[in-house]
Amino acid sequence: MSEDKNSNENKSVGAKGYILPAIVVAFSFAIIYTVVVAIPNLPSLKSEPSKYAMEYVEKQADGTIKRDKKGLPVLNDAGKGRAIYVREGCFYCHSQFVRPQDRDFGSRVHAGDYANETPNVLGTSRTGPDLSNEGGKLPDEWHIGHLKNPREYNPGSIMPSFSYLSDDDLGYLVSYLQTLGRKRFDDPENRHIYEAYYPEADEAFWHASEHHKPNVDSAAAANAGAGIFRQNCAVCHGLNGLGNGPNALAMAKKPANFSRPYYKAYSDKTWYWRVAEGVPGSRMPRWKLKLEPEQMWYLVAFLKTLPQDKSPIIEPYQTIDSEAWQSQSALPERITDNYEKLAKNKKKGGKSSKGGHGGH
Amino acid sequence: MIRRIFSSEDGSAAKFFMFSAIVWLIVGMGAGLLGALEFSFPDLTKGVAQLSFTRLRPVHVNTVAFGWLSMASIGACLYIIPALCKTKLHSEKLANFSCYLWNIGIFVGMLTLLNGYTEGREYAEYREPIDILFVVALGSVSYNLFRTLLNRTVKKLYVSVWYIMGAFFWMPIIFIVGNRTFVAMEGLNDGILNWFYGHNILGMWFTVLGVGIAYYMLPKMSGKPIWSHSLSMFGFWTIAFFYAPTGTHHLLQSPVPEWLKALAVIFSAALVIPVISVLVNFYMTMKGSWWMLTTNMPIRFVLTGAFWYLVTCLQGPFQATRGVNWYIHFTQWVVGHAHAALLGTFTFFVIGAIYYGLQRLTGQRIYSVRLVKWHYWLLLIGFFLFFSSLTIGGLQQAVGWALGYPVAQWGLVLPPMWLVRSIGGVLMFLSSCLFGFNIYMTMREKPISSELEIKVAVPIEGDSK
Repeated sequence: MSEDKNSNENKSVGAKGYILPAIVVAFSFAIIYTVVVAIPNLPSLKSEPSKYAMEYVEKQADGTIKRDKKGLPVLNDAGKGRAIYVREGCFYCHSQFVRPQDRDFGSRVHAGDYANETPNVLGTSRTGPDLSNEGGKLPDEWHIGHLKNPREYNPGSIMPSFSYLSDDDLGYLVSYLQTLGRKRFDDPENRHIYEAYYPEADEAFWHASEHHKPNVDSAAAANAGAGIFRQNCAVCHGLNGLGNGPNALAMAKKPANFSRPYYKAYSDKTWYWRVAEGVPGSRMPRWKLKLEPEQMWYLVAFLKTLPQDKSPIIEPYQTIDSEAWQSQSALPERITDNYEKLAKNKKKGGKSSKGGHGGH
Repeated sequence: MIRRIFSSEDGSAAKFFMFSAIVWLIVGMGAGLLGALEFSFPDLTKGVAQLSFTRLRPVHVNTVAFGWLSMASIGACLYIIPALCKTKLHSEKLANFSCYLWNIGIFVGMLTLLNGYTEGREYAEYREPIDILFVVALGSVSYNLFRTLLNRTVKKLYVSVWYIMGAFFWMPIIFIVGNRTFVAMEGLNDGILNWFYGHNILGMWFTVLGVGIAYYMLPKMSGKPIWSHSLSMFGFWTIAFFYAPTGTHHLLQSPVPEWLKALAVIFSAALVIPVISVLVNFYMTMKGSWWMLTTNMPIRFVLTGAFWYLVTCLQGPFQATRGVNWYIHFTQWVVGHAHAALLGTFTFFVIGAIYYGLQRLTGQRIYSVRLVKWHYWLLLIGFFLFFSSLTIGGLQQAVGWALGYPVAQWGLVLPPMWLVRSIGGVLMFLSSCLFGFNIYMTMREKPISSELEIKVAVPIEGDSK
């Protein structure tokens, strides 16, 4: 500064006369910075963790956070999943705060619920649905399959395929997704409020499904399901579930052809969930609004008998673009493997429990 | 093009910044276009992690914001500030050095983001080492320009100097605060700070730089003084006062404290004041000279930018109010709005400044005026398609949500909009390639040494004399 003041006035004007405005600019900015950034972040004004705030770190027996050699906290499975959620940029399309006017996304989240989370994943756009209360809504296997091939599970979805993630990463990611919103309905105090507001997200959905659950592997249940199928489903899916019912002609998204070997991979729960929740983006309704759990289990028993071993009985019925439809519906080998393993394990362990269910 | 590293030749740093910016424009727009195509064809790059939409999006945003728009604006400022101060830039070597750092930052940042090394905060995705690189580069450019200002030989500061120097004062602070990599914030506080940063780099960096550049370009090219100096200063001080706390309007329905939201809404609405004063000044300066739109290409770019500035800045305060935000938030409308500011307004301003400044810096006549016109029309039509399709799509989404349809049901409604958006993107990408080609061919030609000829070298068709 002093150099400039001494220099020739004709050559260089220097900072003379502009010190006051510079102070004003700096001062005004400092005030605004204090109000917007500093004050909300004062330790005394920070929101305390609420009792529903999730922990994403491992804890030792005495309640302190477990740390690795470098002194960084050790993440638990959900914490690792959260890191993948951030790394893959899920928050660009999925918000994580329910607004007062939102329907279908469950109860609102409060400031303290986010207390242990950084960086924030509040999101700015809802190209996909809000995920605040996603946990517990869908089976793990659905999530993994959906992450790999979103359009298999949700026709019309534009979510990118995350098939490039390793199986471990997908597992972590799903365990994170399953924590979202669980923080509230794990609390018995809140359960009645939550169930009344958003029943399907609760374990109550699966709990209720067990009521009068028939043995879905029995021929009698399948026979009963065939009747329900013809009354409710045949008009779109056809009498034999080949996707060729009369309504199918006028649909942009064609109804499923259950004779496709792809459906061999469906577990009982996936069948049940699909029947109960319908297919978003298509004309398939949420049958739980009309049918009893018992009826839906009968349907599951019938639907399970339809998939063929190698190729479907007929090719997809009159699609707008049959090639696209088929390639979209093709199941990668990897998932088939997983499902087959699951199915084998179930067969091994499931024999003794079958008798128990049959008694109901 | 780059003849010497660490050149001390006059204007070399401004040229270096502008050329780098054009390269990053093409790269960044390419990333954006691929991302946009993935909305229409979601399995386009299935199985390639680096080309997944979620990886491309931060690359697009950061490359066009910091690579294209920031570098192009800095290039223009490195030309404008010495010109307005009637002196030389304090140190061309330092400015060239900053440009190298900046380019390395963008390049390394792009590779890291593509491979999933991200901080996960919008507009602040670059990891710590790259943040430090940017702080050094930005700090040295600021230092350079402030030293240039102190060496000036004119007493009175023109309004552009206020705007531009304001930007170079605020931006380092905002950048350091926003990328607080070494200070852990948790939960909502992280969100509040994220948007303090995210909105202020738009308001206290891009807007202030862009308006400063336009304030230089319009009187210079129309040959008339600015309509009202005091009104322009009024605009500067009001934007300086009103902009900073507005970021929280991105979180209006979240559990953020109510007083912060109220502050954000009031200050956002008050931004109408600087906007109107700036635009009145622009339009009144052009009064009687509107015919220049037909012949003078740089002025056509700047005035088109001024038109989009009107659109985006009337949208802004309007959609920050609680009632409208309730309806519009989270929809594609917001994406259209953000592009109207950065692409529609400031990109047009800066392109005008590059066409104008490069010819003066290099003494070379533009290679082809016809290509400039193609560039203009492709960019404008492409952007119009882009903006209108997203705005209409956003309104469709908003009405659906208000009626209670789940988000997923829009799979059948928005695809046509996204397709139109992609078509607009293709046109804009083509226009940028033409821009790059035109500038490249211009630089291959021999410089015109005569002062008289340099004056004529502005792309003006049909001499008015």
